[in-house]
Amino acid sequence: MLESQALTHEVLESLSKSHPAWRLLRADSAPLVISFLHRIFIVPNLRDIAQSDLQEALEDELFALRERLGTDCYPRQGLEYLNDWADNAQGWLRKFYPPNSDEPHYDLTPATEKGIRWLAGLTERHFIGTESRLLTLFDLLQQIADGSETDPKRRIAELRKKRRDIDNEIKQIQAGELSLLDETALKDRFQQFVMMANELLSDFREVEQNFRTLDRRVRERIVLWEGGKGELLQDILNACDDISDSDQGKSFRAFWDFLMSSSRQEELTALLDKVMALPPIAESKPNTRLRRVHYDWLEAGEHTQRTVAQLSGQLRRFLDDKAWLENKRIIEILHHIKSNAREITHQPPKNWNMNMDDVKLDIVLPMERPLYQPPLQAVITSLSLEMGDEDTDAEALFSQVVVDKNHLKHTLAQALLQQSQVSLAELLQTHPLQHGLAELMVWLQIASEQPRCMIDEQKSEKVQWRTIQGLVKQATLPHVLFVR
Amino acid sequence: MDDLEMQTSSSNPQLSVVVIALCKGIIDRETDHSLWQSLLTLQQPVREYVKTLGLEMILDEAEGYAFLRTREVTADEVQLPRLIARRQLSFHVSLLLALLREKIAESDASGGELRVIVSRDEILEMIRVFMPEGSNEVRLIDQVDSYINQVVKMGFARHLKGSEKMLELHRIIKSFVDAQWLAEFDQRLEEYRKQLMPKSGDA
Repeated sequence: MLESQALTHEVLESLSKSHPAWRLLRADSAPLVISFLHRIFIVPNLRDIAQSDLQEALEDELFALRERLGTDCYPRQGLEYLNDWADNAQGWLRKFYPPNSDEPHYDLTPATEKGIRWLAGLTERHFIGTESRLLTLFDLLQQIADGSETDPKRRIAELRKKRRDIDNEIKQIQAGELSLLDETALKDRFQQFVMMANELLSDFREVEQNFRTLDRRVRERIVLWEGGKGELLQDILNACDDISDSDQGKSFRAFWDFLMSSSRQEELTALLDKVMALPPIAESKPNTRLRRVHYDWLEAGEHTQRTVAQLSGQLRRFLDDKAWLENKRIIEILHHIKSNAREITHQPPKNWNMNMDDVKLDIVLPMERPLYQPPLQAVITSLSLEMGDEDTDAEALFSQVVVDKNHLKHTLAQALLQQSQVSLAELLQTHPLQHGLAELMVWLQIASEQPRCMIDEQKSEKVQWRTIQGLVKQATLPHVLFVR
Repeated sequence: MDDLEMQTSSSNPQLSVVVIALCKGIIDRETDHSLWQSLLTLQQPVREYVKTLGLEMILDEAEGYAFLRTREVTADEVQLPRLIARRQLSFHVSLLLALLREKIAESDASGGELRVIVSRDEILEMIRVFMPEGSNEVRLIDQVDSYINQVVKMGFARHLKGSEKMLELHRIIKSFVDAQWLAEFDQRLEEYRKQLMPKSGDA
């Protein structure tokens, strides 16, 4: 379906009830939801964020809002809001568990993104370039017409015409007539570029969503399949191709191939740099992220690519012929078990003899058991507490030595600025130990953590320091060498 | 056999690592990638090795897990004593396993997510219709919790780190709760029901 549905009263009525974007716009908390999600997901082009990070960001936002608007606005906890937004009833966030993570992650749903983009479009633009869009439309029509022309003569005629135009232009330039785009035309085109670049970025979410829908549809068809095995296999083969051969799949692949070529990447970088440096465009202060918009596309495309690979892998597994047939039988048996189990709910069987093998060997060797140890008998003597009359100095409790590790690291970094390598002994001559052995231990800890530090156990060096009482102490330790 | 001798622990420590890991439980592609890779390359020697113990290795490359199982002996082979313990399951734990198997089937059929994660509350809702009604809600929850813990102990599910109320089901359930096991369950249940309600049973 290329065009969208007609907006009849019935369609709109059902949309207003069921479409998440519409629900979002009508929600009382819309300003909170939209401003927050826009800042978190759309501005930095993020597609995947862990629950704890998102929750923390939301708590901060809520805190700031309550400071400004009074404590009784937005009374719920951050996590409650997140769960609510990800609930099917709202459908503003997609909550999922990525592989190898026990923490749920979130992404925007395409509907939310659409709603947010529409709102962003409401704020007025200074001027709306109509010329560049008309030219784009004209170009597109030309491409369609040229690409579908089957008559060789006409195609050649069309190409000749183009050649004549190019020749004319060359002659004009040779004659010194250089036609340049004026400032307005530049801005007009640039504005359109920005718009389409952003739209492309937001489309990826929908592309992913479309792939998911396709996958689900294929699975549904397989589950409901009633025919024989041969037809099933035929259908399976078709289904496997469905995802990659759909319009969505083909268009995405063409896009991906185009973007993946490194010469295209360089070309895009060079063009973007050149265009962004043009005075009229630089003056309008475009978002600097635009300069790397093609990397954003690449990132988003990669995410989609991964989703597609994952989906087709899972689908293949699901289509595994044997597993599929067994699944069918299992569903039937389960159905039967459940209806029987319902009937005997009040008298569940007492002597039930179902077994299941362990998944591991239980090896317990007698000699591995620890020997008996008599438990320690704690002697409890009860003494009544009495008021003490001794006067001890409590100073010891407060004068604990604290070695500031960051300060030591800073010292090391300073020293390494001046020389490319320094041994610990040298360092301690210029920066004597203030806290004695404790500080020396911290130095050794730093040495063990530092990736570029050599500890030579063959050589040893001596370190000296003076205690508060004025005693000189000395320690011998392996040669420690910090390298820049 | 000479090849096998060459492959034993002294010459190939990796084989020992894989066999010991298998003895201790499931090897999972997602959680231990390097072990999984060595298992794939050492498949044959591992199979030979565990055969001596009367075991066989079940390796599901598509699902990404492997485990040991008692090998079925043919008529002319000697019956070996069982090395792997067999657990007796209560009725409700059996039922819970069957319901979890259904959950996996449902999740596969609806597509999308790779992992099957259910909350404790979902499990509670799933199984409570099959439990005798009573006024003591707390006791019911405790019971279901103990069933869940048994399933976890058997290695079929695990609590997610950080959120103890969420459980990830291990796809290995598919290998244990298979059509044969469920058919046996079904048959026993049917017998019990007929015994309990002789009149309505043959309707």
